[in-house]
Amino acid sequence: MGKVKVATVWFSGCAGCHMSFLDIDEVLIDLAGRIEFCNSPITDLKVFPEGGVDVTLVEGAIGNEEQLELARTVRAKSKIVIALGDCAVTGNVPALRNGIPPRELIEEIYGTSRTTNGALPYEVVPRLLERVRPLHEVIPVDYFLHGCPPPAGLIAKAVLALLDGKTPELTGADLKFG
Amino acid sequence: MDKLRVKIDGRTILAAPGKTILEVAAENGIHIPTLCHLDGLRDVGACRLCIVDLYGQLVTSCTTKVADGMEIGTQTETVRAYRRTILELLFAEGNHVCSFCVSNGGCELQDLACELDMHSVRVPYTYRRERVDATHPRFLIDRDRCVLCGRCVRVCQEVEGAHTWGFAERGATARVITDLAVPWGTAESCTSCGKCVEVCPTGAIARKGASNAEMRKHPDLVAELTERRARG
Amino acid sequence: MAGRLDVLVCSGGACMSSHSLEVKEELVRQLEAHHLADEVRIVETGCMGPCQYGPLVLVYPEGVLYKNVAAADVAEIVSEHFLKGRVVERLLFRSETADRIIQERRSIPFFEKQMKIVLANCGAINPESIEEYIGAGGYEALGKAVTTMTPEGVVAEMKASGLRGRGGAGFPTGTKWDFVRREKSPKKVVVCNADEGDPGAFMDRAVLEGDPHTVIEGMAIAAYAVGAQHGYVYVRAEYPLAIKRLRSALEAARKLGFLGDRIFETAFSFDIEIRVGAGAFVCGEETALIASLEGRRGVPRIRPPYPSTSGMWQLPTLLNNVETYANVRHIVARGSAWFASIGTEQSKGTKVFALSGNVRNTGLVEVPMGTTIGELIYDIGGGVPNGKRLKAIQTGGPSGGCIPVPYLNTPISYETLKELGAIVGSGGVIVLDEDTCMVNLARYFVEFTASESCGQCVPCRSGLVRMLDILDRITRGEGAMDDLALLEELANTIKRSSLCGLGQTAPNPVLSTLQYFRDEYEEHIRHKTCPAAVCAALFVAPCEASCPAHVDVPAYVAHLSNGDFAKAFDIHMKTNPLPGICGRVCYAFCETKCQRAQIEEPVAIRDLKRSMADYAMEHKLAGPKPRARNGQRVAVVGSGPAGLSCGYFLAQLGYETVLFEALPIAGGTMATGIPTYRLPRDILKADIDRIVRAGVEIKLLSPVEDLDELLADGYGAVFVATGAMKAQTLALGDPLPRGVVTGVDFLKGIHVDGTSEVGAEVVVIGGGNSAIDSARAARRLGAKHVTIAYRRAKADMPASPEEIAEAIEEGVEILDMTSPTGVVGGGRVEGLRCARMAAGPFDASGRRRPVESDQAEIVLPTSMVIVAVGQEATGELLRGAGIEVAKGGLVPVDPVTMSTSRPGIFAGGDATSGPATVVEAIGAGRRAAIAIDRFLGGNGILEPEERVEVATDYDEDAYTQERARAVPPMAAAGTRIRSFAEVRGRFAKEQAIEEARRCLHCDRKQTEDGVCCGSSAGEAAGATTR
Repeated sequence: MGKVKVATVWFSGCAGCHMSFLDIDEVLIDLAGRIEFCNSPITDLKVFPEGGVDVTLVEGAIGNEEQLELARTVRAKSKIVIALGDCAVTGNVPALRNGIPPRELIEEIYGTSRTTNGALPYEVVPRLLERVRPLHEVIPVDYFLHGCPPPAGLIAKAVLALLDGKTPELTGADLKFG
Repeated sequence: MDKLRVKIDGRTILAAPGKTILEVAAENGIHIPTLCHLDGLRDVGACRLCIVDLYGQLVTSCTTKVADGMEIGTQTETVRAYRRTILELLFAEGNHVCSFCVSNGGCELQDLACELDMHSVRVPYTYRRERVDATHPRFLIDRDRCVLCGRCVRVCQEVEGAHTWGFAERGATARVITDLAVPWGTAESCTSCGKCVEVCPTGAIARKGASNAEMRKHPDLVAELTERRARG
Repeated sequence: MAGRLDVLVCSGGACMSSHSLEVKEELVRQLEAHHLADEVRIVETGCMGPCQYGPLVLVYPEGVLYKNVAAADVAEIVSEHFLKGRVVERLLFRSETADRIIQERRSIPFFEKQMKIVLANCGAINPESIEEYIGAGGYEALGKAVTTMTPEGVVAEMKASGLRGRGGAGFPTGTKWDFVRREKSPKKVVVCNADEGDPGAFMDRAVLEGDPHTVIEGMAIAAYAVGAQHGYVYVRAEYPLAIKRLRSALEAARKLGFLGDRIFETAFSFDIEIRVGAGAFVCGEETALIASLEGRRGVPRIRPPYPSTSGMWQLPTLLNNVETYANVRHIVARGSAWFASIGTEQSKGTKVFALSGNVRNTGLVEVPMGTTIGELIYDIGGGVPNGKRLKAIQTGGPSGGCIPVPYLNTPISYETLKELGAIVGSGGVIVLDEDTCMVNLARYFVEFTASESCGQCVPCRSGLVRMLDILDRITRGEGAMDDLALLEELANTIKRSSLCGLGQTAPNPVLSTLQYFRDEYEEHIRHKTCPAAVCAALFVAPCEASCPAHVDVPAYVAHLSNGDFAKAFDIHMKTNPLPGICGRVCYAFCETKCQRAQIEEPVAIRDLKRSMADYAMEHKLAGPKPRARNGQRVAVVGSGPAGLSCGYFLAQLGYETVLFEALPIAGGTMATGIPTYRLPRDILKADIDRIVRAGVEIKLLSPVEDLDELLADGYGAVFVATGAMKAQTLALGDPLPRGVVTGVDFLKGIHVDGTSEVGAEVVVIGGGNSAIDSARAARRLGAKHVTIAYRRAKADMPASPEEIAEAIEEGVEILDMTSPTGVVGGGRVEGLRCARMAAGPFDASGRRRPVESDQAEIVLPTSMVIVAVGQEATGELLRGAGIEVAKGGLVPVDPVTMSTSRPGIFAGGDATSGPATVVEAIGAGRRAAIAIDRFLGGNGILEPEERVEVATDYDEDAYTQERARAVPPMAAAGTRIRSFAEVRGRFAKEQAIEEARRCLHCDRKQTEDGVCCGSSAGEAAGATTR
């Protein structure tokens, strides 16, 4: 049996969820033998595999057009999509900007910054969406791992269950926001 | 007086007349989720989370008195699904990105999400943006986190007798206000007793300087107070 | 004081707003001037009912009802009617069915089926005069109750009457009274709920304005029965006139001792206060109303305890609605048995309804329970105006639901309407025509309830906002199919778990529209279209939206207005390659939705199209260039409009397309059925030739018998458009004598085979366009008398009104309500036996089903009978290809892709829809071409470029002033019947340009300034895409 293909992507979030994933300690050794890490900020593979993957863990909320596009690719090419952490599940901190028009936001942050000399990044960077959205508002999501970040044990529990071909049982304290 | 015979989740239970379904269930170790209910305060049945199935009708257990022969389901599929939808609606209308519960776990809304198996909020969030009122020297209110349970209003009215808190407007714009919608710090009727802080189920009403890990609330204080007062 | 005439001037809210008081003042002046003041008495009354026609003036003793009376009309009424006794005819009502004037109020159909109990005094007496009320029997019931009946006796009467609460819930009134009466409390309260707040409801207002004493008397009787001493009327501040009249009525009642201490010199004392509410909808809920009465925030509380045990100030409280109280005195005075004899088994008495919406007679009506919905809408309401079709009626306002057309025979009662997912509610009835978008309607009601939710309980407060959110998304074309499930789940959660009646009923408009009009929601979601052309985000303009081929009308009309006929033609060809044909025979759905009609009349779009097409024909314009051939072949079976359209667009997309036609001529029904006086054959040929030049091969005399053969022949896909050519027949006799033919054969004989045999006397059976075509063709062939026998009413004929009018001009006689039963004659037909019909109950199409009347059979002498009662498809070809064919030979297809159950085989036109219009077939052909392109590996994009708004070069504002619609020249009827030459002429070029400038450019969208970062179009569409 071939290795299970796993990808992780990082949208609007602080990378804390990826850190928490790495915090699963010795389980990583077990995982290393069973999974093949595809596109992931950890491996620095930047292109989502053409042939698709079995599982994708998505950290972060959807805040700009590039993330929206990639989220759709993720859905199209993944058998299972997991929202990893509160930003992906609820929008969380990145969503605090919702309600402020993106233009005002950009002007405030870049226009008044000394390092950018007031240049506004309209051209090269992806356009901001009017609102930051949780992942499931954009694509269908199969499982939700709550927490800011989700506890390492919770991530291990979910991933290991999937590797064993089981449905991860996420109940009670597993569903704790924050 | 004679005990009544009721059936809760298939269990036959003897109950004293005049008690609510919620009280009888609690006395018998059957947990029903609640939010606007608080021991010691008048029940209003506003949050609808304590709904139970009574012959196919959904009634709030905090306000429905037991009657002989009643058959009640507290965990039926429908009841659980509706409670979860209602909870999702609560999450969607406010803004519960909050530093409180992350640190101290002391949020009843967070507990309900775990209890009711809420995996995600399926309706779009509103991302409400209300101003924080920190004009009171000791307390503050962040209305984005308010779930309009009305516990502050009732405790202020029924226990403290100050009537500082009240409701204003209606529908989606309904909110709790102090006096005639003046900044809390200038609300003359407020006695600064802090009971509203203790009963608030979320991080909406908080003590200044203790808004994170240090913040511990004591909603059970009210029941204690009312009991003691009754004893005189 | 007793005068010769009583003149009643309606001063109900509606008539006052159309200046009835000015009419009254003018009356006073005129009577003074003519020294008639002593002879004529003027009475200001409450609402008379037909509010649409206000101001209303009713003159007794004759009972003459004048409508739309202006102050300027008064002089004429006084001098003609009052002095000379000549009724002023121009101000009288006209019958909608028969063309005659109706003088007397009681003969006006609006009043004929009504039964006025609650509204007996409304519009009949001066509401500010207690003497008139007493004169009409007022306060007799109160006297009878307090002096001759025990409280228990009154309650028993109420119970026996079967009266149920008129506020909406329909709780038995007597039972409620009994609850309060049994409460052991020295103090009790009686409350009248006059917080009428449903959009479209104005019953309570009319009663309070028109007959306040009837409510006071009802409350006093109730107080006596339940043992109350205090009464309150909770009325909304938006009803100042009701408050004023009620206030003066209370004073008058007190003065005469009907209120106050020791009423009728008994021990019974009672008085009433008015409480003015601030107009929150939720305060109509009884516990919220009581909270508001007490001066608290008007929010509902949990029941029990019910107000009957603990209401106002915790006292036992009887709370009833205005209309409920208004029934009381009649029950007491005339007895419960009388009342119980009216209505149905479980719903007794009458109900007042406020008719509004798309109905001829809007206003206030009172009918016995059990009256059918159809009678209410058609007999009393006069049906839907402007030639539109009825779509549904909405009852019960924001708490109610919709009832679609197939249920018109439902008798109105609490139970029957509930079964249909609607409610009687307080009595608001909104009539909805075909131009109503049901999603938008549901959205409107949810918006209303969301903003009226008190905000106390979570499901109602937050859930309705979320439902509104989803409905908003759907009406903007951003919805997903999953949204419907979520919408239903939210609706059910709110319905079942909300605290009070507002939340428990607020989802009803959504649930009921989902039940009956789910397809409309799906149209918005799947196809991003709004069939009624209401949801502005989903269409270019109403004309474009209503066109089955989605021709960009505003763009080509704008080009025409600039005088650029060639560009207009190019635009037209993008969606419809048969402009010459459509410029003559199109049903012009676009014109029915044209917004210009709100100024005067729709733009003459079809005539404009004809001008454009004729220009293109004369200048030999070819239309857009097709793409290079891609080497793939597609076969089309049938050369009617669907086949031609599909073939043309396939050729545009680069396909080698072959049309197979069984007949020796191309064009399908357009060639065999439509008479040349409507569609000259050179025009037909020009449109078809252009398609051939665009690269479509047409093989005549090439019937296809096996689709598999075609597929094996190298055609990648097949489009079947074989039409519905089989004539339906009637059992008129067996064997049929000579001279009985079908319309299909008759018309085909003329146009294809060149026969011209016709009888001197011809009877055509049917009511559709082909019946009219047959009749007019028969006239042209020399028939002396042509009669059309139609079994329903003339107004129900499916043929276009224009065609019917032209046929009548040409001497064709139409005999409606006439159903043929058999032919007379042996070898040759000699006559047609017909039964005379009467209007029966409503059928599923919303028309009255013809039933045999008691009139004797008639025989129409004739030498020829043409049966034109409909056509159907056979479905043979598709059945042969293993595709399932439904009833009537129709083949089920996907409405967007026109694909059948078998991949590669597509079908459209009349073969899948049954007999329909040319333009519908064109639309189907185009959709099929796009789907076939996708099926064969293309991208299915016919028009890569985005739509551009066409700028004009004239002063648009100048054309928004009223201007008459241009009319093309028409041949005189006498000339017409002498040949088959085209009847309708065309606009001169300048005339066409002027007419095109009447377009209001509904396609112009207000654009915001480009935002450089932030919301992008892709975001919205991407949300929740599955």
